[in-house]
Amino acid sequence: MAEVTCEGRSIREINVAIKSHIRGGDNEITVRNPGGRHNLGVAILEPAHVTIEGSAGYYCGALADGSTVEVTGSAGWGLAESMLNGTAIVHGSAGNGAGAAIRGGAVIVYGDAAARAGVSMKGGLVLIGGDCGYMAGFMGQKGALIVCGDAGDAFADSMYATVCYVGGKIAGLGNDTVIEALSSADVEFLDATLERYLPFEIRKTKPSGKNFKKIVSGRRLWNFNQRDRKIWQEAL
Amino acid sequence: MLETSGTFQPGVIEEIQRKAATGLYAIRGYGTLRERRWATFDDLTFLPCSLTRIPLEGYREKCSTKTVLGTRHAKKPIELDIPIMITGMSWGALSLNAKTALAKGAALAGSSNTTGDGGMLRAERDASRCLIYEVLPSRYGINIHDMREADGIELTIGQGAKPGTGGLLLGSKVSDVIAHQRDLPIGVDQRSPARHPDFLGPDDMVIKVEELREATDGQVPIFVKMGASRVFDDVKLAAKAGADVIVVDGMEGGTAASPAILQEHTGLPTLAAVCEARRALEDIGVYGEVQLIIAGGIRDGVDAAKAIALGADAIYIGTAALIALNCNRAMYEIDYHAIGAAPYHCHHCHTGRCPVGITTQNPELMKRLDIDEGAERVLNLLRAMTLEIQMLARACGKSDIHHLEPEDMAALTAEASMICGIPLAGTRKVFGS
Ligand SMILES: Cc1cc2nc3c(=O)[nH]c(=O)nc-3n(C[C@H](O)[C@H](O)[C@H](O)COP(=O)(O)O)c2cc1C
Ligand code: SF4
Repeated sequence: MAEVTCEGRSIREINVAIKSHIRGGDNEITVRNPGGRHNLGVAILEPAHVTIEGSAGYYCGALADGSTVEVTGSAGWGLAESMLNGTAIVHGSAGNGAGAAIRGGAVIVYGDAAARAGVSMKGGLVLIGGDCGYMAGFMGQKGALIVCGDAGDAFADSMYATVCYVGGKIAGLGNDTVIEALSSADVEFLDATLERYLPFEIRKTKPSGKNFKKIVSGRRLWNFNQRDRKIWQEAL
Repeated sequence: MLETSGTFQPGVIEEIQRKAATGLYAIRGYGTLRERRWATFDDLTFLPCSLTRIPLEGYREKCSTKTVLGTRHAKKPIELDIPIMITGMSWGALSLNAKTALAKGAALAGSSNTTGDGGMLRAERDASRCLIYEVLPSRYGINIHDMREADGIELTIGQGAKPGTGGLLLGSKVSDVIAHQRDLPIGVDQRSPARHPDFLGPDDMVIKVEELREATDGQVPIFVKMGASRVFDDVKLAAKAGADVIVVDGMEGGTAASPAILQEHTGLPTLAAVCEARRALEDIGVYGEVQLIIAGGIRDGVDAAKAIALGADAIYIGTAALIALNCNRAMYEIDYHAIGAAPYHCHHCHTGRCPVGITTQNPELMKRLDIDEGAERVLNLLRAMTLEIQMLARACGKSDIHHLEPEDMAALTAEASMICGIPLAGTRKVFGS
């Protein structure tokens, strides 16, 4: 168990310190006094567990492959963006673009997420314990986006094949979306995922799997096509 | 005599009727097809030495072409033997053979090549001497391991052919391999987002640049690429955001597929763009510290030399390199006709049925492009262009092509004089000053 203190250090020095502990065989690292700094724990490519004690700024845990980055406070924009694999956990809330463009792994936010959570996601899981802002799931390509609370406007707009689940109300669906009936596999997946990633104290306040709505792409924007003139007018 | 409307010419009539039939805007490849009635590099002429300056001997005296990029912050700046680089063209837009041939040709010439809107192709990395990895709004194929293998990272804000909009790859090219690489369903007409998913403007781009630097341990230069729009302001903002190298892609820039109107009616021409970019860097005192790459319609060593004289450190070529690979060459003519084109008139990259195997994912068509032969042709083009630049530089008395300067040229038109700040031929005055 190693510690890295942020005070008085540049982000370069902080990340170098984290990575040199990992290289030295320390797989549990606590980062103290993060002070909302940007780019904390970027590009960690080993299965280490980095706990950030406090809040982080932009791109926390981004471009990761295999690490776990846990933020005990809140995180700024682009949480774990473009992650290949690994886990990012935020106890508080996350800014815009949480889990943007991830290709695998899991991005877990116990609280709320601002706009565009899971934007352009290409795999993996984005799980928001609370509510999310507008345009979550925009252009989602693969993977699953789960919002336990309410979803903002233009939810799941212009998606390819991300599957979205919302436990609360949806302020408005985005272009080319379809609400689909939950299958038993969906319910099982939701219950198992919530159980795996949300602590009991948080999970118990959330709807159970069978009470979620499932939203997928209507596939009408997948190909340019004049039959759907109206939808193209709105989409472009 | 049959008369034709000057307004509703046959092409206009056809386009209106096409829209009436389909309800959709036109998409095609290649870049602007307009006759260039704006100031271009052709509106400048070099002023070689006579009595006031002494030329260098053509074949004997040294004229360096070495090009260094990323001296501002990177621990390992890029060192190239020549100033002409291969621009980012995606694997998806281009075939595997084309990507590999470009990489190999560039490596043989001592230059670089760039990934594109679809991530890195292993064969491309293996064939490259110096590979620039593009980070685009779509983030297709984004992979931190590939990024860390790269010799430079290019954060792309936009392209000259279509500034302010995202990429396009029509379904015929979204083959199973490309779909897998981009995490997309097979056969979709893929539209890429115009904005990055995790920052909006110049303020948070500072953080993005820092992130990319962190992800690559500060080793390699960070480029910022943009389509030429409000170049004077945009270049200053990119430099302030910490870019080591700024790429400005002018209106004549190529594309594999974009709405036709964007190619024809958006952005600034490349000549104007290089002049604005240089002034912007000078304005904030980082000219020479931040390197400038210019792209968009560069055809030969003459265009390249003029861009360098106006302030560019290096040149990206796209379309010219594809032409070296046989784009628009008179062969397989039946296949050109089948897509409604003909040699010298093809701009049909968007169809995925490129007759010469460059912009296709069809294995049969792709076979028409032999990687080694293609690499040799790219090498030859890069060499010949470099020789042309050297020839002009020597004639102007320069022992290094990077010593070319605006003073080495005169403007042939009032517009070019005004744009470039170079006296109009036959006068001692910059027009309009
Ligand atoms: C076939 C093709 C594919 C392209 N793909 C990309 C791309 O993936 N990413 C990008 O930033 N620019 C792309 N471009 C634009 C080029 O990088 C470059 O800006 C432009 O081609 C320069 O102009 P030129 O072709 O006249 O040399 C592409 C251009 C072409 C011709
Ligand atoms: S020959 Fe191929 S690369 Fe050239 S314009 Fe036609 S389709 Fe595009």
